[in-house]
Amino acid sequence: MKKVIENKLLNEKLIYNRLSSGLDVYILLKPGYSRQFAIYATRYGSNDSQFVPLGQREPITVPDGIAHFLEHKLFEEEKGNVFEEYSRLGAQPNAFTNFNMTAYHFTSTGNFYECLDVLLGFVGRPYFTDENVEKEKGIIAQEIRMYEDNPYWRVYFNLLRGLYHEFPVRKDIAGTVESIYKIDKETLYECYRTFYHPSNMALFIAGDVDPDRVFDQAEKMVVKRSGKNEARDIKRIFPKEAKGVNKDRIEERLAVARPIFALGFKDEDTVRDGDRLLDKIIANDIILDMLIGTSTDIYDKLYEEGLIDSSFGNYYTGERYYGYAIMTGQTQDPERVADSIFNEIVKRRSQPWEQEHFNRIKKKKIGEFIRLFNSLDSTCIQFVSMLFRDIQLLDYLERLESITYNEVKKEFNEIYRKENSCLSSIVPL
Amino acid sequence: MKDIIIKNLNKNINLYVIPDKKFKTVYISYCFHRDLDEDYTYNALVPAILKRGSEGYENQKEIGIYLEEQYGALFDVGVQKRGERQVLRFTMDLVNEEFVGKDGLLAQAFYFLNRIITKPVLEGSMFKSDYVNQEKENLKNRILAMINDKMQYSMERCIQEMCRGEKYARYVLGNIDDLNSLDPEKLYEVYKDIIRSSPLDIFVVGDVDPEKVAILINNSLDLERSQIKLIPETIIKKIGVKQREVVERMDISQAKLNIGFRTNVAVNQNEYFPLVLYAGILGGGPHSKLFINVREKSSLAYYAFARLEKYKGLMLIGSGIDQMNYKQTLDIIMEQVEDIKRGRISDAEFTASVNAITTSLKAAKDDQGQLVDYYLGNAVTGAQYTLEDFISEIQKVKPEDVVEVSKKIKVDTVYLLSPEEGDAGR
Repeated sequence: MKKVIENKLLNEKLIYNRLSSGLDVYILLKPGYSRQFAIYATRYGSNDSQFVPLGQREPITVPDGIAHFLEHKLFEEEKGNVFEEYSRLGAQPNAFTNFNMTAYHFTSTGNFYECLDVLLGFVGRPYFTDENVEKEKGIIAQEIRMYEDNPYWRVYFNLLRGLYHEFPVRKDIAGTVESIYKIDKETLYECYRTFYHPSNMALFIAGDVDPDRVFDQAEKMVVKRSGKNEARDIKRIFPKEAKGVNKDRIEERLAVARPIFALGFKDEDTVRDGDRLLDKIIANDIILDMLIGTSTDIYDKLYEEGLIDSSFGNYYTGERYYGYAIMTGQTQDPERVADSIFNEIVKRRSQPWEQEHFNRIKKKKIGEFIRLFNSLDSTCIQFVSMLFRDIQLLDYLERLESITYNEVKKEFNEIYRKENSCLSSIVPL
Repeated sequence: MKDIIIKNLNKNINLYVIPDKKFKTVYISYCFHRDLDEDYTYNALVPAILKRGSEGYENQKEIGIYLEEQYGALFDVGVQKRGERQVLRFTMDLVNEEFVGKDGLLAQAFYFLNRIITKPVLEGSMFKSDYVNQEKENLKNRILAMINDKMQYSMERCIQEMCRGEKYARYVLGNIDDLNSLDPEKLYEVYKDIIRSSPLDIFVVGDVDPEKVAILINNSLDLERSQIKLIPETIIKKIGVKQREVVERMDISQAKLNIGFRTNVAVNQNEYFPLVLYAGILGGGPHSKLFINVREKSSLAYYAFARLEKYKGLMLIGSGIDQMNYKQTLDIIMEQVEDIKRGRISDAEFTASVNAITTSLKAAKDDQGQLVDYYLGNAVTGAQYTLEDFISEIQKVKPEDVVEVSKKIKVDTVYLLSPEEGDAGR
């Protein structure tokens, strides 16, 4: 059931097919591009630490950081390392794990179909031994240490710990040096069997490629290993998250030049996906620009007072079970920045922005969305991560067009409240 | 198809247009070249002040509104180090008119950039003092913030130690003492000199007509130009290099090991191509000797890489390790360096490196920023190689050429950024 999705305004063409194994495959045709980008991802991230393993009845809790550990280990094969195969073909492989997904990707400028074989092959072929699991612990321990010294990373994870009481997004994606030493090959296989079924995965490709050949190839490779689709429901267990924030202030001392802050607002509306979630993401992106974008008086004032500088930025994250808005940057005085933002929020409740401001930000979002399609890599990653929230990225412009100022104001009133916020700071030693 | 069209505009300005229908935006970058001389802090400060406002767009708010109106056009300024020169950049990226059905977006962008560059907000015959004072503080903070990113900090410190006494030791954003004693009159003079006499290259990448772009720039750019200053060539050779070890302590949890080498190869020499492959084989990705031996075989690090500072003839190795393993890691790294000198390069390593480099060069054609970076590099070195030419030069290199060039590469500085506590493994 091949489907062609065309967007005339963007001049983009997307071809979709669901394979017999249950795998969703998308191809964005990009004539004129030298590179091809392919990403093969599973709906499995660091948040999935409690679940019922395939074929069992009772839930288990796995060590923190195991999804990321599994990502590292899949690259290992009985005959050596996948990197060697990719290198021979000249492709640039990589992978990442976040809270909700694990993704394997490559960039090629030739040998695309061979590279695709490598990708579909190794992700379907786990090979864990006691020795190769042990060997990885030293490498990942150094990866964790590297992040411990990264103040931008620390300020963000500290903030999540402040915003959330129980929800696993408060834990580091890679786990801790202690937790990864508890990981063994049996648990890795258990996680793999549960989450790496094609019906829980998606393949997304962008480039000047032949779609039918891709579908054919994926059909053969993936059915060979997993058989036809047996629709499976994965039972994931998440703790119930209480309302309100865990802490309203978190501070840590590190070797930095001056304080770094992240002010977060917790979104308590927690069960959502599809268009409803897309609308929410759009609304919040608009709010943040209206509230404290570079064209606002408050941005100008904070900048002139030396309280923020060009490192200042903000964004909203909207996932299936959680969401938050963050404003972050370097400052002399995190408390004063936070106070100014709280005051501005209170002011905007009674004196909302002009309609014209809203329209202008919408225009800006149109441009930002069109720009995204310059980059194959970003488009693919964005597309898959939206897909896992049941959002079709190509619907963005239509939803943006239809969103009203009143919806945006409602969202603003619900999320941006002082009592729902946490200020995380990293201060010099 | 010709990849790039180069035109000489009036007033000694070079225009580089890469017309390509596949891009949804038009990327524009004005690049002024400056010697990395004692005025380098002033050079770094000027773009930051110009970014604050101009006639017609007096402050950030007005600029912000303008950019939002132009469908979220991006505008930024920056300063980069390319060998012993600074490149001051003014960059815009705007949606191609055809997607939003609004004529004149491109033309307006050139007029906007002209105002930013040539019509700053003045008080008398100097920059507006508030802007100077605020940007002075911001620049100071940015210089100090170098320590926040330990990987970048240790790399920069390794270069500073290695190049002490040379121009190249200067940090691209300037230094704190110069900012503390900043002379606003001189700052304005430096600005005048930048726009009057610096070599200027303008890059435009997107679905555009090169003739039209040339006309738009000629019509919009209101620059008084005089004699263009020649920028001295970067000095590559250093006599009497002796291996040095520098250990710096900081309250951190992971040690950073950096090793600085002199390649003794200039970017415009033929030996540069084998050098690129050399760095690829040694530490240019998961196929490389460093990745395989430091990470995969010994589990000592998450990352270990080698990269060229091509304009200055340097190579840097970087790795994040447990300080206890300093000596062991250093030994393994130096063994890899020696191995190449002894000709121990496998066919697989060689092919993988050629392929990896070819892929990144080809992939650069899909990225406006990378295209500009590449051709700006040509503008700096005077090289004429298109990306395709460069790829074919890489394909011609033989393993023995790599071994030959490896003999010229000498260790200069071993730099370790180490946690406060404990023994650095010696």
